[in-house]
Amino acid sequence: MASPSAQLPEEIFQPLKRLNRIYFSDPDHIIELAKGGCLMSEGEETRRIYLVLKGALVAYRHAGPLDGNLPEETDSRGHEVFRATFGSYVGVQSFFSRTFRASSSIFATEDTELAWIDDTASAVGEEEYGTFEHQFIPVIVYELAVRNMRILSHAVEKEEAVRLLQRAEMAATLGQLSAGIAHELNNAVSVITSRTEFVARGLANHLADSNVENSRLFLLGYEDKSFAGSAMLRPAARRYEKEYSLSQPAARVLARIAPDDSALEKLGADFIRHIERNYHFWELGHDLRDMQLASRHAAGIVRAVKLLGGGKPSREPGVDVGQSVRDALSLLESRLKLVAVQMDIRPTPPITADVTELIQLWTNIAKNALDAMAQAGTANPTIKVAASSYHTESLGDLLPTEYIRVSISNNGPSIPTNVQGKIFQPNFTTKKRGLDFGLGLGLSIVRHVVDSYNGTIDLVSEPGSTTFTINIPTTQIHGED
Amino acid sequence: MEKINIICVDDQQEVLDSVMRDLRPLTSHVRLEEASGAADCLKLLEEIDGEGDRVALIISDQVMPGESGVDLLRKVSSDRRFAITRKALLTGQATHSDTIKAINDSHIDNYIEKPWQPEKLLAAVKRLLTLYILDAGLDYAPFMPVLDQPTLLSRLH
Repeated sequence: MASPSAQLPEEIFQPLKRLNRIYFSDPDHIIELAKGGCLMSEGEETRRIYLVLKGALVAYRHAGPLDGNLPEETDSRGHEVFRATFGSYVGVQSFFSRTFRASSSIFATEDTELAWIDDTASAVGEEEYGTFEHQFIPVIVYELAVRNMRILSHAVEKEEAVRLLQRAEMAATLGQLSAGIAHELNNAVSVITSRTEFVARGLANHLADSNVENSRLFLLGYEDKSFAGSAMLRPAARRYEKEYSLSQPAARVLARIAPDDSALEKLGADFIRHIERNYHFWELGHDLRDMQLASRHAAGIVRAVKLLGGGKPSREPGVDVGQSVRDALSLLESRLKLVAVQMDIRPTPPITADVTELIQLWTNIAKNALDAMAQAGTANPTIKVAASSYHTESLGDLLPTEYIRVSISNNGPSIPTNVQGKIFQPNFTTKKRGLDFGLGLGLSIVRHVVDSYNGTIDLVSEPGSTTFTINIPTTQIHGED
Repeated sequence: MEKINIICVDDQQEVLDSVMRDLRPLTSHVRLEEASGAADCLKLLEEIDGEGDRVALIISDQVMPGESGVDLLRKVSSDRRFAITRKALLTGQATHSDTIKAINDSHIDNYIEKPWQPEKLLAAVKRLLTLYILDAGLDYAPFMPVLDQPTLLSRLH
């Protein structure tokens, strides 16, 4: 029935040669079928075995049990079951099982020539080769082998399809869930953000009316932009504590306002005296500042979750992928200062895309690399970013042949093999939680976005070299969603 | 007089600020020091020891860049100078089996779950401070306002 497969051993074909010569060479028993012609319909009676001499056929079968009646939608061809080409037999099962019913509808996909025998055929050379059925055992065995292989590969395909479906369902559920959560959180967070601002302004005005120095302290705390760690501030705080007889908390605040003597001089002696009893005004301002930073951070996470939830991206033609990579890197500028960056961005054909989504891709991968290197304390941390386009051999008309490849490498620690499969799952993170960004959403967003462009992600990771490569087709065959 | 120190360790300044603020009532009797990580804490310990002062308690975050809190506290435990120094772990992952194992293996006296309630944190720290002062054989009378009375009583009887 199916085409002789290269996976079957050669010996199986030897006994078939005599049968083909003896039984399938009668010129009166040869039919021609033009391209598109129907050899038999599912369920109809057939008493023949065909051998394909030339051309090719395809068989379709409808879902549901075969009871001789076709389902309602007779216009649809059903599912493809097999294809037959030169050397294939058609109708072996119904012939030898004596059901004499076609289990599928068979059409010629090109001009085809078939030889046939029917149930009136009798054995040739019975003394030497045995009965008709006996002589046809090789055909039956061959048929069984082919069918078995077909079932096996179908089972594997089905397994793979189910796996993909489950992943898609998981992503969809997570998407719906997170979109709802993101909406609710967004409202809550924006209330905190705006009210913190009101409270801060109100307090600053109120303090300015009663005590200018306290108002100044408050604003210094609220507008503090330094991120100096405790290790850097401790020596100054100790010194101030002794030199100006300040309490420990007051000296600590003073060190944060003025980390060195020149900054301290500008504040003046009155200010230093004032701080001993009033440092908490600075802390009050600083608390509001922390609240604002935290709520802004929360708003950033909500935005990221919204994207994961599949907020409608707007994809437009004419997008330059290389530019989106440069944009992403400039967004990360403050963090990239600490590492060496090597760029090799070549001109690529414009694609239909949402620039925000692309930027999200590159920033998430690059951030991940930066975090991994920072966490491991990698020496001479380096990030390499490359973009280019390439063509593939056509695998059929359906697959795109032109792709854009963006690769982002770092020289940080390798991703352990047992972890590599997990890193694209939401919730997987090796980073600390809290105010740092470490929700484990970054790479799952990457997967989500790349999937939606019918692209692929390759990950190669060994000590000192981890590379994420994203391949995106320049044309979208399956629509835009 | 030699000073008694409590060290708080966290790599996130915002969190460190909160811990320091919650423990401020103790500053009437002990010094509060902060460190931004394991390495910084070890440096600070040397400084304090160099001045002949005492470290009653180290409260450390668990997940930090570089060495973890458990590793830091284990290291301190094996240092004879700080053998009776009390150790507490501040962690948001106290239910992780890894963390629990680490706690059991490293002579940690207490763990405090994030996010914490300020009064509970203060109470736990007072308990540990009380134990340290008794272990060190110091006169507890001057420290009475910052000690945990039940712990003191049960030890004295």
